[in-house]
Amino acid sequence: MSQLILFNLFNGLIVGAFYALMALGLSLILNLSGVINFAHGGFLALGAYIAYTLMPYVGFWGALLIAPFLTAFLGIIIERLLIRRLYGRDPLYSLLLTFGLAYIFEDVSRYIWGAQSVPFIVPGFLTKPLSNSLFFLTGYRVFMVVLVAIAVAALFYILNRTRLGMRIRAGTMDLETVSTLGVNVRVLRNLNFGLGIFLAGLAGVLAAGLLGLQPTIGTSLIMPSFVAIIVGGLGSLPGTLLGGLLIGVASGLTTVFFPSATEAVMYVMMGLVLLLRPRGLLGEEGRL
Amino acid sequence: MNVLEVEGLHTYYGKSHILHGVSLVVPEGKIVALLGRNGAGKSTTLRSIIGLTPPREGAIRVFGHATTHWAPDQIAGLGLGYVPEGRRIFPNLTVEENLLVPMARPGPWTVRRVFESFPRLAERKSNKGSQLSGGEQEMLAIARTLMLNPKILALDEPSQGLAPLIVREVFNIVTEARKEGVSVLLVEQNVRATVAIADHAYVLDNGSIVYSGPAAEFAKDEQRVRALAGASAEKWEMED
Ligand SMILES: Nc1ncnc2c1ncn2[C@@H]1O[C@H](COP(=O)(O)OP(=O)(O)O)[C@@H](O)[C@H]1O
Ligand SMILES: [Mg+2]
Repeated sequence: MSQLILFNLFNGLIVGAFYALMALGLSLILNLSGVINFAHGGFLALGAYIAYTLMPYVGFWGALLIAPFLTAFLGIIIERLLIRRLYGRDPLYSLLLTFGLAYIFEDVSRYIWGAQSVPFIVPGFLTKPLSNSLFFLTGYRVFMVVLVAIAVAALFYILNRTRLGMRIRAGTMDLETVSTLGVNVRVLRNLNFGLGIFLAGLAGVLAAGLLGLQPTIGTSLIMPSFVAIIVGGLGSLPGTLLGGLLIGVASGLTTVFFPSATEAVMYVMMGLVLLLRPRGLLGEEGRL
Repeated sequence: MNVLEVEGLHTYYGKSHILHGVSLVVPEGKIVALLGRNGAGKSTTLRSIIGLTPPREGAIRVFGHATTHWAPDQIAGLGLGYVPEGRRIFPNLTVEENLLVPMARPGPWTVRRVFESFPRLAERKSNKGSQLSGGEQEMLAIARTLMLNPKILALDEPSQGLAPLIVREVFNIVTEARKEGVSVLLVEQNVRATVAIADHAYVLDNGSIVYSGPAAEFAKDEQRVRALAGASAEKWEMED
């Protein structure tokens, strides 16, 4: 029994790490640009397919390193060409645009790489269990959690220790004042969008190694990521991280005790948070 | 030479016509005061100049560049520093982080110099912006703009809501900046303290300039001063 709980707890942690990685990117973009990026799951899938395409040439490690950057670059181009035009308008416009982009990405992936799941081969030594009793602890799963932790640490380092990060945080509160201080906010939002998409690309590569790769790989992650943002508190990135991990672990544990509620539990949590603490766990006062 | 020239501005918020042909100049190395009652259009004039609310008609030249329809960051990049009304400190950033947000134009101002010149900010450097007092926030707002190393400083009611002692400190900073060659456009409702340090004064009313003349002359015209300062501002008397 305790084996089963541990297994699902760890599974929940992994799923939660994905939610968090997705949700952090979504939050970055939402906080600075006011865009709810429904195409985030599409970028995740593209990241994974880019890695899949690169792998024969540069191997797993090379692909893992390069694909997130290429995905971020793609994000930067799309922000520059399309999304930027809708800043300051009714959020409905950007919602529709990113919704459309999500479908376009999915169909483009299907057209290029096919609708079937393609094999995504990770290095053999990573797939072995670390021990016999903890059979579920494969090297890849541990590796994934470590990599997500490193990515999150790097993100918070950028946000708290670099001028770019300080400007992003300042801009989420008062973009107008940031611009009067000589900061080009068009570039700032563009880079910030790229940063968010980088995280989606990384999540894509990691997820493909675990689940295999098909065009809809991002679809199942997008709604939980929005839930993570609301549970953690809109506007708070540490909250988003916490929200992602919490709902992941909660659905993992629910699998043990009440399997049919696995999908529903995160929405129940969201409902409870909205009832008891509308600004979310770590959300700031006044920001719903 | 004029570092800033504003000609015939007509600025709107949506359909409401706020500025009706505002013209003014800031000569190099001078402090120019822009006075006027609440709602006269002083803030709108500054917002037009820095590019936040571009005018529908009229022209703005900063160091000879026609900046009328430039973005705020491009105008700031020429060396026009703007200290907004109400300070607009980033509440979620520490004092030190607030100072690192501006674009780093070359010049004398560094974080180190700010902390030397504003010891109070040095003491509070790890505090969040939201934890500062009004006076500290005003100091930080000015210091943050100085980090841009501006050649023109446009301040919007820096004395608003501050105790008289702090107002003196703020005005001292402004005169110090001028000594270093910075030209100043000072928007104020604190008439007496302002005309005491300004070289030239404009008075704005209902979106139009209704007075323009040397500040010393304006200060002597007690009737005008009293009309503008009103009873509430009498307490802002400055010594020497
Ligand atoms: N964002 C806005 N939208 C509409 N009207 C505004 C806005 N800001 C200011 N106003 C109006 O413009 C006029 C001038 O305001 P402002 O420039 O702030 O005056 P001042 O700074 O001299 O007190 C006022 O009548 C004010 O109500
Ligand atoms: Mg004003």
